[in-house]
Amino acid sequence: MKGSQTAESNTVNTVLGPVPADELGVVSVHEALLSAIPGAEHAFDIAMDRAEIFEILAAKLTEFRDHGGRTIVDSTGMFHGRDVNLYEALSRSTGVHIVASTGMGPEEMLGGYFLTPQTNPPTPWPAEKFAELFTKEITEGMVIPRVERRGAAGLVTTTATRGGMTATDESLFRGAARAALQTGVAVSLRYGQDAAADLEIVVDEQLPAHRVVVGGLDRKDAVAAGAPLEIARRGAFVALDHVGPDNGAHITDSERAVVVRELVEAGHGDRILLSSSTIGVAKGQPDCDVPFSYVLSTFVPLLTAQGLGDADVQRILVDNPRELLSVR
Amino acid sequence: MSRVNTVLGPIPTEELGIVAIHEHIGYGMPGSELDTRWWKTPEERYEETVPKLRKFHQYGGGTFVDVTGICNGRDVDYYKSLSAKTGVHIVACTGFVGGDTALPFFERASVEYLTRQFVHEIAVGIGDTGSRAGVIKVGVSRGGRMTELDKRIYRAAARAALSTGVPILTHLAIDAENAIAIFHEEGLPLDRVLFGHVDDGVNAEKTRDTWIAEQGGRVGFDTFGYETELEDPPFWARPRKERLDHFLRFLGAGHLDKALAGVDANCSPLGWPGVKGHTVNYLFEDLIPDLREAGIDEATITKLFVENPADFLTIQN
Repeated sequence: MKGSQTAESNTVNTVLGPVPADELGVVSVHEALLSAIPGAEHAFDIAMDRAEIFEILAAKLTEFRDHGGRTIVDSTGMFHGRDVNLYEALSRSTGVHIVASTGMGPEEMLGGYFLTPQTNPPTPWPAEKFAELFTKEITEGMVIPRVERRGAAGLVTTTATRGGMTATDESLFRGAARAALQTGVAVSLRYGQDAAADLEIVVDEQLPAHRVVVGGLDRKDAVAAGAPLEIARRGAFVALDHVGPDNGAHITDSERAVVVRELVEAGHGDRILLSSSTIGVAKGQPDCDVPFSYVLSTFVPLLTAQGLGDADVQRILVDNPRELLSVR
Repeated sequence: MSRVNTVLGPIPTEELGIVAIHEHIGYGMPGSELDTRWWKTPEERYEETVPKLRKFHQYGGGTFVDVTGICNGRDVDYYKSLSAKTGVHIVACTGFVGGDTALPFFERASVEYLTRQFVHEIAVGIGDTGSRAGVIKVGVSRGGRMTELDKRIYRAAARAALSTGVPILTHLAIDAENAIAIFHEEGLPLDRVLFGHVDDGVNAEKTRDTWIAEQGGRVGFDTFGYETELEDPPFWARPRKERLDHFLRFLGAGHLDKALAGVDANCSPLGWPGVKGHTVNYLFEDLIPDLREAGIDEATITKLFVENPADFLTIQN
């Protein structure tokens, strides 16, 4: 198992700088701190009160910490409300490690700069340009638009269109894979219609599957298609990342606990990641009231009831995300 | 009382003076702010911009209409400082350059929401700047035909124009039949709309400029200076004489009342290299001299750059 490589020299990029991987503790890998639909910051009826946003997020991170959480990954990418300055202050204030991400997607979430550039014809960006954009966010720092770069992104995240991957989605996936290869951070992808096919796009770029986490695998259609097991077999991390109250689109927590047990029984305990995809502060979209601690406080007992031991839980909540987030 | 909203507050129409009707302090496609290749320090931005505006003022320029839409780098606090320090009136816009420059939040919005956004920016202010928009920008997305989102934006703009009295400027005047149909449906008189860029190199042939004027719309020859003679012309450039002749034909056909002219320059572009050698001052250094040389008299020049813009920009209510 690759866990044996987790030497003390491995580090993880957090907003406050590289942190030894062994210090991460319990990690939630797919969450959002400030999540803003692009453009919402210009809406006449949406306030962006930084003090208020900070206060809400600090309370939620503290609650996470009180339940044993140590590291939060903001997996919203570079164009969905990410606020590096705020996250630095939050991390210092609450003591929770914050890993911010680069990347974008799906296509419908991009700005016109990438889709209809001022060229004739307006050809959308190719993979190589996305790769360069994302790579610099890791090697040179994350952008505070038109002001400065700060810190280093700890993950490249992207998403495919629900109805099926578009040409630009594919450029984003390939660009994300190349950025990961060049920098050593992992790729987090949310699949669109076909999880295995979407994973193959980044693997086709020579990115090893174990440097990829596939999210959304607790969607009902994914589970019905057997995708969690299939993705684990291919060596990628399996994110069951909508742990929380039943929302109709995903399996329930009790069903999720069964999926976890089955994956463990099939020998894929080292591939499982759990998260809630909750939102700390939402702008331009509905709030989400699932706490960051939900996995720890509410879901872990369901795993125990399925017969998983402490070592299994430790592996899923601590070892696997450490493995994923360690810069290779 | 006749008035126009500028970034430093309403001014009487009589103070507008010579107007640059379709301009940009700095334009960038949404998302270009993420690409550091275009970044400039604040010092560079002021250094590129202030001398152009000061020169504009020295030439006798009164008002600079900035039509950089929401999401395109519109920066009203910056415009306020530029206006206060140079003496040039700056009119900011609400609206979007086109559906393809509206970010997802607005792409998903209803006509009703977009209307409220525009009305708020005109009647209350843009963000927390306290500055009110003086015009509404709309436009046709790349591709030559109005998209469903373009149409939603046009309809919301028409409603906002009717309820606030500020006019609409369009980016591109292609597919004008669809635009005019929307304005008719909403009951907006077409003299409250300036159909822009009828003269650009890509679309001039496809743009029904005289037909638009005959319907009552105002017609913008507002990409003067984007010439194939430039060192590095953009793809929408056109031979200088061809554009001038086009404009003279339009005036000669009796459409002076409907005509407006501008140069669509960037003082300091935000998300593209810009076009070297092209500034707002083309208006004084090239365009007006060219018109005089072509025999256009002073009364007509005043009509084009002072009276028609004043008539158009004055809030109707």
